[in-house]
Amino acid sequence: MIAQNGFIDYKTKRALVIDDYPSMRSAFKMALASFGMTKVDVAATGSEAVMRVKSTSYDIIISDYNLGEGRDGQQVLEEMRHRNLIGLETAFLMVTAESVYERVVAAAELAPDDYLIKPFNGEIMRTRLDAILTKKSVFQQVYRSLAEGDLESALEGCDALVASHPKYLVDAMRFKGEVLVAMGNFESAEALYKQVMAMRAVPWSRLGLAKSLHLQHKEKEAEGMLVDLIDQYPELVAGYDLLADVQQSQNKLKDMQYTLQRSVSVSAKSTLRQRRLGEVAYQNSDLGSAETAFRAAIEKGRNSIYLQPNDFANLSRVHLVQGDAKAAAEVLVSNRKLLQESDEGKLISAVMLSKISAHNGRHDEARELIRDALRIKQHKVRCEPGLALDMVQSCLNAGLDQEAANLLDEVARNAHDSTALLDKAKQIYREAGKEAAVREILRQATAHVAQLSREGALLLQRGELKSGVAKLLQASEAAPRNPRVLMNTVWAALRLIEQQGNSDGMLGHAKRLLADVTYLTPEHPRLIGLQNMLRSIESSSTRQRVAAQIANMG
Amino acid sequence: MPSIENQDLYAALLHEMKNNLVLMAMTMERVPHTRVAEHDQPLDEARLLCQRVSERLMQALLIYKSDLGGMVLNAVDAYSPEDFVAEMAGQARYLQTPHRIETRIDPNVPAIWFFDRNILEMALINAIHNSLSFARSRIEITARVEDGMLCLAIEDDSDGYPPHILQAVAEDRPLNSSGTGLGLRFASLIAKSHENNGRRGSLSLRNQGGSVFEIRVP
Repeated sequence: MIAQNGFIDYKTKRALVIDDYPSMRSAFKMALASFGMTKVDVAATGSEAVMRVKSTSYDIIISDYNLGEGRDGQQVLEEMRHRNLIGLETAFLMVTAESVYERVVAAAELAPDDYLIKPFNGEIMRTRLDAILTKKSVFQQVYRSLAEGDLESALEGCDALVASHPKYLVDAMRFKGEVLVAMGNFESAEALYKQVMAMRAVPWSRLGLAKSLHLQHKEKEAEGMLVDLIDQYPELVAGYDLLADVQQSQNKLKDMQYTLQRSVSVSAKSTLRQRRLGEVAYQNSDLGSAETAFRAAIEKGRNSIYLQPNDFANLSRVHLVQGDAKAAAEVLVSNRKLLQESDEGKLISAVMLSKISAHNGRHDEARELIRDALRIKQHKVRCEPGLALDMVQSCLNAGLDQEAANLLDEVARNAHDSTALLDKAKQIYREAGKEAAVREILRQATAHVAQLSREGALLLQRGELKSGVAKLLQASEAAPRNPRVLMNTVWAALRLIEQQGNSDGMLGHAKRLLADVTYLTPEHPRLIGLQNMLRSIESSSTRQRVAAQIANMG
Repeated sequence: MPSIENQDLYAALLHEMKNNLVLMAMTMERVPHTRVAEHDQPLDEARLLCQRVSERLMQALLIYKSDLGGMVLNAVDAYSPEDFVAEMAGQARYLQTPHRIETRIDPNVPAIWFFDRNILEMALINAIHNSLSFARSRIEITARVEDGMLCLAIEDDSDGYPPHILQAVAEDRPLNSSGTGLGLRFASLIAKSHENNGRRGSLSLRNQGGSVFEIRVP
């Protein structure tokens, strides 16, 4: 195979070895040197490796799965690929002594290019690297198309590979499935995964099928598939995550909590997963589980990019609802330094301390603190809706009804489609004995955005793209933090540019809104599709501009 | 199973043992061959022994988990039989024995097949190591398709298997648990754990110009 595709020249390649054992690092270095590689860097931890890839571009990364404390090799791979720190052309070889890893990788959305099971020898490492690099060179053009946002060409490239390289048939189909999902073409993705399953129902094809069903809102079907898959592969964290999404869409919050609880018992390391578990447990009024999960989210997230100031608000709030004001205050006091680093953290401290003071009957202090919070909030500080509702409650208690109404208006405009938040707001006003006021605030806030969205959608359906986009832009202005409204607007604006060209600064609007929504929900599955759509519009307009310039020169 | 409080210790010990085996293999790879028999021969023997210890450790861990009743496959996916055969030939040549290592892929073998590569490789490498002990001058690693099954075989020019082994494997009776017998019991478990559309894999042995060890995967 190697002879057929040409000799791989390791002398020109640069590699990074990630292993927590110094003796293993030097053994890898010498083994790589034996086949001509001189440019080899090493890292002992995941964070060190992430630092390295930020400044240097590597052809090959070899990582141990078990890196001791901190992130494991799979988390390192996911962070590097999710944050685009390494491209698809970088070969990633995982080394593992845990046989359970094989079962994790069998369905991982982000799999390494290959893996080696310990114990192994230098010869087999060479064979696997040769095979990965040969495959990378065959897929080079497809990777390039994807990186340029040219999804159509990437698809065509996959089809061409299926025809020309039967050996890579399944790899090309797997890649094509990801491209189809990124394009938002979920029906075709569904058909493709079924095609793979007809050959063999490998775990990743089942996960891919469940995902494309979920994205088409076929939740029942997706749920059944995932329950079976997890039953067979209980160590599959990606399966639990998707099942939790599916259950959330159906508002089965008890089931969702159970699913996430099982997933953290398999892999407790993820801050995001613990946070999500805490949030759903809190919604289910299971305060004990919420406390455990929020505490774990903070512990696992320390010294990582995943820890957010709001994690402290979550834990402090649970303590307060449990009636333990002392523990609630302790969370803020012991993390004071971290919280004072950002405006969001300062806001959280002020809001939670105000609530704690009110709980302890010190109402003057509470009023002062919520005034502080309102001052901080004026500077466009990031504020999770849950925290904003805490502020609403504190304002009502302090007699600041107008401020409460303004805050609730902002929350409601951005969440006209979230019954959980709106119900919570009603409850707060009911407890304050001001039920009549809340109905009017919510009606005014939500009716406007909902109407604009509805009218916009209707115009789009009728093919009146331009006036539809105008309506949606108004809706986005009224609900600047509602991801669904923003994404619908971006999509419609980009369609308009595709069909009628960029006018009235439409491209600028689309880019700004897309940046906002990326900040709000960085993990949303629709984002990749929208980003790619934008990139392809931008590259084609660059091409047109260059063509026009050349024409003018003549 | 060790007690809960000892499981962490047990896992750490295993982890260290595996790391040390990798280090031992890679360290011996750094000792150059000198074409002096007194030097090269013990080196090659030590490399083979290192491989054998690794192999036995993996088998012991598999037994620990599967309880010999059955075996759960971890990662069935699409692999190229051609690459797979080439990888095993590489592993055989790695041991620097005087034997000729040859490969043969029948034209009817498709570009991809679904199997658990790591576990299947374990069974076949074990057979290669056995053949290296008995073959006169050559070992051939082959792939063909028969009756809808991928047949992967290790063939050599030895005197062949003794009758009691042929009979035991043909009748699916357990063999004695030392040396060759142990490896064959594993190979049979590994073959049978592959399943597709209601058909199971199998192990078969025969003598045909030497010994032929063949695993069929549906």
